Amino acid sequence: MWIFSPLQRFRWAKLTSIQTQLRIIWPYYLENRAGLRWGFALLVLSNATAAAIPYLLKLATNSLHHPSDPTRMIFFALGLMLLALFHSLLRIFGRIQVFRVGLKIEYELRKAYHAKLTNLDSSFFMQSRTGDLISRGINDILAVRMFIGPGFLQVTNTFMSYCIILPVMLTLDPLLTGLALLPFPIMFGLTWLMTKHLYQLSQIVADRFGKLSSFIQETLAGLTVLRALAVEPLWQHRFDQANGGLYEANLRHARLQSFFPAMILFGGALGVWIILAYSGPRVVEGTFTLGDFVAFTGYLSMLIWPTVGLGWILTILQRGIAALERIGVVLNASPMSPSAPSLAQPIRWSGNISIRHLHFSHATHPVLQGINIDIPSGAFIGLVGRIGSGKSTLLALLARLWPTPPGTIFFDQQDLAYIDEASLRHNLAMVPQDSFLFSASIQDNLLFGHPLAGEEKAWEMARFAALEKEILQFPQRMATIVGERGITLSGGQRQRVALARALVMETPILLFDDIFSSVDARTEATILQNLRQLTHGQTLLMVCHRIAALREADAIIVLDQGRIVAFGPHTQLLIESPLYQNLHDQMQRQEKLETLT
Amino acid sequence: MRPVLTAHTDETRYGHFLDIRLMVRLFHYVQPHRKWLWLALLLLPIGILAQVAQPWMIQRAVDHHLATGQMAGFGFVLLVLGGMAVLQMGVGYTQSTLHALLGQRMVRDLRMALFDHLVHQEAAFFHQNNNNQKNQNQSGQLTNRLTNDIEAVSQMVSAGLIGLLGDFLLLLGITFSMFLLSAHLSLVIVVMLPIILLTSGFVTQRMRLLQRRSRQLQSSMAGRLTEEIEGYQVVRLFQRQQKNRFLFDEDNRNYLQTSLKSNKLEAFQFSFVEAASHITIALLFLYAAIPSIRQAVTVGILVAFIDYIRRFFFPIRDIANKYSTMQAAMTALERIFSLLDSPTTLVDPPTPLPISELEKGRVSFEQVTFGYGQETILKGITLDIQPGEHVAIVGPTGAGKSSLIKLINRTFDVHSGQVLVHGTDVRHLALPQLRRLVGVVWQETFLFAGTIADNIGLMDPAITPERIRWAVAQTGADTFINALPQGLETQLAERAADLSTGQRQLLGLARVLAFDPVILILDEATSSIDAISEQYIQRALQTILATRTALLIAHRLSTIQHADRIIVLSNGQIVEQGTHDDLLQQNGLYAQLYALQLRGQTLGDESPRPPLFFKN
Repeated sequence: MWIFSPLQRFRWAKLTSIQTQLRIIWPYYLENRAGLRWGFALLVLSNATAAAIPYLLKLATNSLHHPSDPTRMIFFALGLMLLALFHSLLRIFGRIQVFRVGLKIEYELRKAYHAKLTNLDSSFFMQSRTGDLISRGINDILAVRMFIGPGFLQVTNTFMSYCIILPVMLTLDPLLTGLALLPFPIMFGLTWLMTKHLYQLSQIVADRFGKLSSFIQETLAGLTVLRALAVEPLWQHRFDQANGGLYEANLRHARLQSFFPAMILFGGALGVWIILAYSGPRVVEGTFTLGDFVAFTGYLSMLIWPTVGLGWILTILQRGIAALERIGVVLNASPMSPSAPSLAQPIRWSGNISIRHLHFSHATHPVLQGINIDIPSGAFIGLVGRIGSGKSTLLALLARLWPTPPGTIFFDQQDLAYIDEASLRHNLAMVPQDSFLFSASIQDNLLFGHPLAGEEKAWEMARFAALEKEILQFPQRMATIVGERGITLSGGQRQRVALARALVMETPILLFDDIFSSVDARTEATILQNLRQLTHGQTLLMVCHRIAALREADAIIVLDQGRIVAFGPHTQLLIESPLYQNLHDQMQRQEKLETLT
Repeated sequence: MRPVLTAHTDETRYGHFLDIRLMVRLFHYVQPHRKWLWLALLLLPIGILAQVAQPWMIQRAVDHHLATGQMAGFGFVLLVLGGMAVLQMGVGYTQSTLHALLGQRMVRDLRMALFDHLVHQEAAFFHQNNNNQKNQNQSGQLTNRLTNDIEAVSQMVSAGLIGLLGDFLLLLGITFSMFLLSAHLSLVIVVMLPIILLTSGFVTQRMRLLQRRSRQLQSSMAGRLTEEIEGYQVVRLFQRQQKNRFLFDEDNRNYLQTSLKSNKLEAFQFSFVEAASHITIALLFLYAAIPSIRQAVTVGILVAFIDYIRRFFFPIRDIANKYSTMQAAMTALERIFSLLDSPTTLVDPPTPLPISELEKGRVSFEQVTFGYGQETILKGITLDIQPGEHVAIVGPTGAGKSSLIKLINRTFDVHSGQVLVHGTDVRHLALPQLRRLVGVVWQETFLFAGTIADNIGLMDPAITPERIRWAVAQTGADTFINALPQGLETQLAERAADLSTGQRQLLGLARVLAFDPVILILDEATSSIDAISEQYIQRALQTILATRTALLIAHRLSTIQHADRIIVLSNGQIVEQGTHDDLLQQNGLYAQLYALQLRGQTLGDESPRPPLFFKN
């Protein structure tokens, strides 16, 4: 008995969580209630008609055995055909109906999942792995569809088959029914156990397959190293092991899977054998007709699939529940900074920025420690400092990529923490340090924030970002696809596309994070010249390691260890700030070397 | 040169149903396991016999015993029937297991052959393919060959090939038995069969197209999710959520429409076979009732026919399903074999010469020219580096610095002239030996998933834990490694994001040192790290270089001024060489570069970068 108690506890624990999991799809169920009811009705009818088919077979067999009136056979045969057609139509429509509900819910759920992801922010994404989120959005939602469509269908079919066929069989011969169905509970139990185990084995296969794939990918990426140290044989050995592991897992899975068809065929054959052995003597005695024999084998064959199917579907249902939980975690996540409702028509700001006592920490590590500054509208401010001084974090906070502490950042005297998203994005554009592009055309990337701006605008801003000539050289120009993350472009080109993408927004505030790092000096000069023309009246805050750009700035903020240590124009800082002088000399040397070599 | 790879993805193209040329070649991989193949083939007729005999026995039971009331011999019929059922189960199970075994073994061997082939491909292979516009994502494409393509073959082999043969044989066996039982009634089958086959075939064809579209849409959605998750900051900055939702919804909606269509076909196909079998049975009854036929048809025959018809539809459905598996596998096989056929250009000499101990550590270039494709990079380089000499190479970008050092360990082969290591032409040395003589530290150190220790010893059993600890201590990397909670056993995260560039370079240096090279090459090894890390490396190098020949490429001139010799490369030729002082006197390119550096030092108060070389 000891084996049952933990199982029972396990099931209770499951049941309470099932209720919470099902709450996620409850609204979708309500929406599709009518469809499911229709489907249910059709399935019930199809099962009822199915039960009549063996009965007609019985009548036909008896009529063939004791020929009386040949026209009766025409009647039976036509009846059988019509019934078969009718049954199939009912089954087709029932199945379409039920599966359609599953597909619709899959669609709705995926839509909701995607919408949720677009609403979450840095704090969520920093903790999640990309692959995991995608797997939830694709595979788990698929598992929920299986839970609803085939799950509902199979449970209904099994239930109805037994409800209708079992009484018929019992009226024909209760003892034979009991005997013939003897293998069925075993088949059901085995199927259930094996599908569960099979699912675990398939997880192992998928896991090993994934590991082998990443091993291959890594090996190919690091082949230079492996070759240079002549350790290829070792890596081949490691591959053989991983490959062998996958082979083992595949084989175990296949072995278990092989058992199914064999078992189903044997179960059916055993049933027929029992019927034959039992009914043989009775037919001879005359208490059982040949027609009964035919009908019985017919009924039995109709119960095989519902029985095996139920065992299989239990595993699908369990997976569906687990998938619901995984999806629910994401759907129930709340964005850290709920923003105010967006205004219908965002107001254009003048572009002045005030920062008051801004402190910020990543985990426990303080990054910014008391930033205070006022930037008037239309100013061009440079931002310099060593690596890790907090420059990028300051820009990210201004752009609200991290939640802003209330009362610290003000645009046009409005607290950033309470500004609605649409107003913020219409008034502030940022070029982040890593120029992340999307695998779309250059034009789509340029007009990313302004899809309706038109090709003219794309060309205009490409010109300002000194990109026009290069785009003209691509065979497909603006329609050139840039590949994943913009891989087909050079680093400098990516950086300029990202710049132009921000310029297209024509916002009063622009934040640039190190936009010249992959751009050569001449192009940089061109862009600077263009920017001066273009950004007339726009507030520009630029993290920068280039002297030419810093000379242009109205003032420069020097950051060190999260504090502003100096502030003023280039010439003043060169005299006053040792840190700035130091940084300046480093930059100068670097630039000179570049022009020479 | 013919293209090595076709750029089609798995979904864009389907091959022939059966390509004999490919199958013959695939058969080579079955050779080692052929005894299993024979067993599988032997079981095929036994399994079919066990299936086909059952309705036959039922017919006997009905006609000879039940209908006539003759009970003698009924027990024997039951015994045979039961025996056949057991046999069918046993053989059926063994068969599927055997098919899986054969398929999986073959796939394992094929994957291994492909991996071995790829690992032995030299830089030129990847280089050449990278220039080909079609193969931008090389490592991704190749990984695809080794995983998805092989998987497609695996599906064909384990579920398909022998099974397909079995399906055809079973159909044949059933048809044959039916004819034997009653040629008259078999006419019904002859009428129904083409209708069923054609309809099934048509529906399967349509379904396959829809399923392919489904998969495409699914991967498109996965792609969108990936990009949006990776670029979530940009999405937020440009307030693209609305538009992205719209675009995603387009895919999602198309996916729904496609699924709804294939849902209908699937439901039809599922019930069509069932309806068809019932209609066939009805026709049988009708036909059997015709008085002239009636005489030849017994109830037993009819019962057997009903049973046969139920068994008939399994293989038909199976064949329809296997069709698309076969097509996908044929395309995959074609790509796999064409990859296996790509020649390995850089090979070990048939009889490698032993490494001379006399000139250990000497590297010489004699009239070396080299380039990629049409472009010539190095134009007649002659250079002799003595054992223990420390040489720095400077020059503008594109001068050929990196190409020059890549010839030493035969990453590439020279076009003309020769490169000698230890006084022997590198092409006459065994590759593994040559490569362990030469250690290279690149601008970026590639780290593998695994522990720090794994990354230093690369899991070579010859590199003992003591040697790893020694290498780590020599480079000074132990300072930061010991600070980690698990020390050398610390697992490195994806792309080793938790290590700084400087730390990674120290690991790269430790790795090279663990393999104890005689010649050490530093290719911009310190150019992307900060001054403090560079100081560590400089200290490490001081001891490491004392006994080794060294070649160094560097941007920062302060790091190389104590080199024994400085080579200035420009446009693929050596334009200046000599010690730092010699070159300053020559007042050429080097002197210009150095003047700039000097001014930088006097202007700023930052301490100059420490030299990587010291006078010995």
